[in-house]
Order: sequence, then structure tokens, then C-alpha cells
Amino acid sequence: MEVYILSKTAMQLVNLKKTIGSKPIIKGLDFEIRAGEVFGFLGPNGAGKTTTIRMMVGLIDITEGDVLIEGKSIKRDFKGAIQHVGAIVENPEMYPFLSGWKNLKQYARMVEGVSEDRIKEVVSLVGLQKAIHEKAGRYSLGMRQRLGIAQALLHGPSILILDEPTNGLDPSGIREIRKYIRNLAEKENVAVIVSSHLLTEIELMCDRIGVIKNGELIAIEEVRSVENKEALKEVYIEVEPLETARAYLDNHLSNGVGVGNKELSMSVKREEIPQILKNLIEQGINIYGVRVLQATLEDKFFDLIGENSIE
Amino acid sequence: MSNLLNLIWNEQIKLYAKKATWVMFAALLIVAIGGGIITKFFGTESDFKEYGDDWQAELQAENAQLTAEMEEEEFAGFMNEMTIAENIYHIENDIKPQPYDGWEYVLENSFLTSVISLFTIIVAAGIISSEFKWGTIKLLLIRPISRTKILLSKYLSVLIFAFTLLVFLLASSWLVGAVLFGLNGLNPMVVQDLMPGYVQNDVIGEIVKSYGFSLVTLVMMATFAFMISAIFRSSGMAIGLAIFLMMAGNAIVAFLSQYAWSKYILFANTNLAQYTNGMEPVIPGMSMTFSIIVLLVYFVIFIAASWAAFTKRDVAGN
Repeated sequence: MEVYILSKTAMQLVNLKKTIGSKPIIKGLDFEIRAGEVFGFLGPNGAGKTTTIRMMVGLIDITEGDVLIEGKSIKRDFKGAIQHVGAIVENPEMYPFLSGWKNLKQYARMVEGVSEDRIKEVVSLVGLQKAIHEKAGRYSLGMRQRLGIAQALLHGPSILILDEPTNGLDPSGIREIRKYIRNLAEKENVAVIVSSHLLTEIELMCDRIGVIKNGELIAIEEVRSVENKEALKEVYIEVEPLETARAYLDNHLSNGVGVGNKELSMSVKREEIPQILKNLIEQGINIYGVRVLQATLEDKFFDLIGENSIE
Repeated sequence: MSNLLNLIWNEQIKLYAKKATWVMFAALLIVAIGGGIITKFFGTESDFKEYGDDWQAELQAENAQLTAEMEEEEFAGFMNEMTIAENIYHIENDIKPQPYDGWEYVLENSFLTSVISLFTIIVAAGIISSEFKWGTIKLLLIRPISRTKILLSKYLSVLIFAFTLLVFLLASSWLVGAVLFGLNGLNPMVVQDLMPGYVQNDVIGEIVKSYGFSLVTLVMMATFAFMISAIFRSSGMAIGLAIFLMMAGNAIVAFLSQYAWSKYILFANTNLAQYTNGMEPVIPGMSMTFSIIVLLVYFVIFIAASWAAFTKRDVAGN
């Protein structure tokens, strides 16, 4: 945690709410994204990811609360706030009748100081040199995704918001984009916000993940955090005789024991495992195998949000 | 400011990157050339007749012949009467008739401004709604530029487009006219049959007036289509409504003219030519000043509604 205290806040959501009609869509989001981190915005469809992103970039009005970008309110100082942001909101939609290059020129003309060289630089960063003079209407979804990232990067923003950035990319494209996003965060100190419902994707490229469900932030997880010593793990031990071992462990473990086919299962802390094994051996019980179930992010995710329900 | 120019430049690039825009220019050119050819080869012979020094006698001989024709064939009546009246005007005012020329062709083509109105409506209707259709509106509105400025750049782009079409129509008509009919000088006088009778004016002045008055309808209907496009984000609705109203406008006014408030209808006021050359306005009691004020009020309402819809509303969903 100490590491993050040093890096400054790039974007801050303050009790952010959105009500459409009388229906609350976003029910008060409070979190911040720091410079140099990749923040995953995770949630099932309909949870409010895109609505939140639209509020972050001023496409829709904020009912209550605020979004502060580099300290500036998107509500009160739109230009001051948005100039630090590059974004793709939902699909990377481009002018189909213009070439990739001319699409980028459109956005380059809308901000100060984006040179031809900068456009070329961005194009090669996303690997679109070959197709850049073709009409964007002929691009595959993956190519449009790259062009979308290119337009978001043109003006060198300090915050990059990408809605489902790996959508439509092939595995090698996904790897490249992931590498590139990590690079931006680590080398250029850009704060990257990546929304996704693809857990494995987000796990691989994010430092932290905010989980949103029904318009509420239900958890923020550090992805690369040191393993929590206090966390209970699911441990499976293959033993013989099964019944003796069960009876012994039932008396000694507070959480109880589950019996499978040849296996006993139990929820214990990592540091308890050696002692349990020693005790079992002392009891004359044969141990054929031990496996510890790694709780993946996917499990955490489903634990957190339960079923994919939309209110 | 450079900001706004860049935005307008962007809009023009998008506009001219589309084939439909070039089709509009091609259509105008084809009509200008086609109209010229039809006038040249199927026009009335007397229009192209060159008169000598003794033109008064020639005109009188013509009139005598026309009168004789009318006695023989009754149906020739109306056309002949007009020619006779025109000839008499020339003789009485000592104006030597000049053959039909390129300038007159330009003047006659002022009716094509309604085609320009149509094209401008189509462009105005699409310039906002298309961004929503393509989804690019989301990329457009997340730049450090106010929505007001983006809206302004789009509106100005529509006017620039209309102006470009207008210049194109004038230039192509003049060229076609000059090639096919020649020119009677730099700014020849032209005799026109207007409501109160025949009048003589310099042709450039008449061209400016005639095209200028038609611009009123053009700007009002384009602004209307722009507003519908901004409010409903649908080009089909904007095109349909604007064209329907443009076509049916006069009929609506005629239908409602029995009511006193009908003079406040937009279409009762778009034809400012009704106050020139001693003509009577459609509804008694209207004046040029009245119409200009009514037009301005409509204009402000259209612009304000477009602005409110474009700057205040959420850009959500597709």
C-alpha cells in the first residue's frame, strides 16, 4: 500500500450518482485512480460500467456527486478536465468513409499541438502503419480497436479510459495491447481505466480491480497484492483410511471436514497445512496427495456478485 | 478562433468525403447544361432575334403579324399578346430589344435555388444525426471543446455548403449561358414582365435580388432541418418534415389566410419579394419590416432549440 500513497490521484469519483427518471442507475461511487496504475472496472452487463464511463467523460450529466480529473471537475470545468483524458466509449466507432489517417487528423485538429510526427508515432505504437491509408469502413473490429486507442492517445493524455479494449482482437493482438497498456502505465505514468467483463483479461493487465454491481461498487481488489496470510484456503487431502482421518480432523478443526471420494476437504489457513499433515502421519494415516485450490479472481468475482442479475 | 476554423475544416472534409455531396454538384451542373441546351434549341426564335438600326419598324411589323395570327388561330392568343405588349413597351420607352444572353440565363436559373434548398436541407438534416448514427458523436464530444462550439461549427458548415452550391450554380449557369448565348456586355439592362407590367433593370442587380430573396427560404428551412436533426437525432425525420413544409408552405398559408394570425406563419413571410415592385403581400397589413421581425423570431427559436437539445442532453445508448 505504501507504494500507492506516493503516486498522485489522477481521477477521483466523489459520491457519483446517476438517476434516470426515478430509477437510480449509479448509486454513489467513491473511488480514485492513481497515476501509473491500470485500474480494472469489472462488472456484469448492465451493472453501470458504461454509464459511469460516460459520466467520467462528460457525455451524460451527473445527477449527484462529481468526477475530478487531475483535480478539475468535469461538471464545472469540462475543458480543463477533459483535456487530460483519452477515451474509447463502447465500440471504437470511426468515420467509415475516411481513411484511418484522416480519422486521426480529425481529432488532431481538435486539440492544440498534435503534429504529423505525433500521429505517425501513435500509429506505429498501435501497429496500424500498413492499413492507415485504407478506409476505416474496411477495417476489422481489431483494427478499429487499435485506431480507437490511437485516437485516444493522440494528445498524450494522463488518463486513458478504454471500454472493453480487447474486444474483437485476436490472441496476439490482445497480448500486444496488454503489453502496451502496461507500458503506458509503468513508463509514462498514465492512469489507465479498463472496463471489462472478461476476468482473465483484466487480471492479467490490471493493478487494481473495482467490481461494480447494480450501480454500486461492491469491492476493490489489489490484483498483484501479496497473498493474504489470514485467508482460508480450500485444501484437499487424499488419505487412507478415510474414516479414521475424518474422525480425527473433525475433532481438531473448527470449520469441520468434508468427505469426498478418497479425499477430505477443509478450509484452513496456509500456515496450518504442515501441522495438519504431520498430525495425520502421526496418527498412522497414509497420505497420497495434497492439493490447495487457488482462489482465482474468477472465484472472487462470482463470490462477490453472485448471479448476473439486472435489477 | 483557430479552433472554430479547424472544426469547420473538419466538417467540410467529412462532407466532401461522401459521394452524395458530389452527386449534388453534378446534378446542378447537369441541370444548368441541360437547361441551356433546351433553351438554345427549343426556345422561342424571337428571343434570339438580333434587331438592326431600324428596330422600331421591325417590332411594329412583328406586332402586325402577331395580330393577324391571332385573328386566324385563337389559341395563339396569350403568347402573342405578351410579345406584343413587350414590343410596345420597347417602342414606347425607346429601348432596343437585345437578344437572349448568358446573363438572362443566369437570372432565369434562380428557380434552381429551390434545388439548392433541397440539398442544403439534406446536409443540415444529416450533419448532427449522422454523428449519432455512426457513433462518432462520442469521440467528438470528449475533446476540450464546448458543445456550443461544435454545434456552431456544424451550423456554419451547412451555410458554407449552401453558399458553395450557390456560387457553383451561378458560375456554371453563367459559363453555360456565355458559351451558348453569348453576353450582351458586362452588366446589360434587361426587360422583365413583373406584376405591375414591364420594367427595365440592370441584370446583375436583378440576379442579386432574385437569388438573394430565395436565400431567405433556404436559410430558414436549412435551420429548421438542423433543429429537427439536433432534437430528434434522426435525419429522415428532419429531411421529411423540412421538405414537406417547404413544398406545402404556400398551400398552408393560403388555406389559413382567412385567420388574422396566419400572417405569423413562417411561410407567409419567407417570400420577401412580395414587398418589391409594388406587389401586394399575401395577407393584407404585412410589411417588409414585419416579415423580417417574424423571420428573426423563428430563426432565434430554431437556433435556441438546436442549442438546448445539443448541449443539454445526455449522449447515451445507440
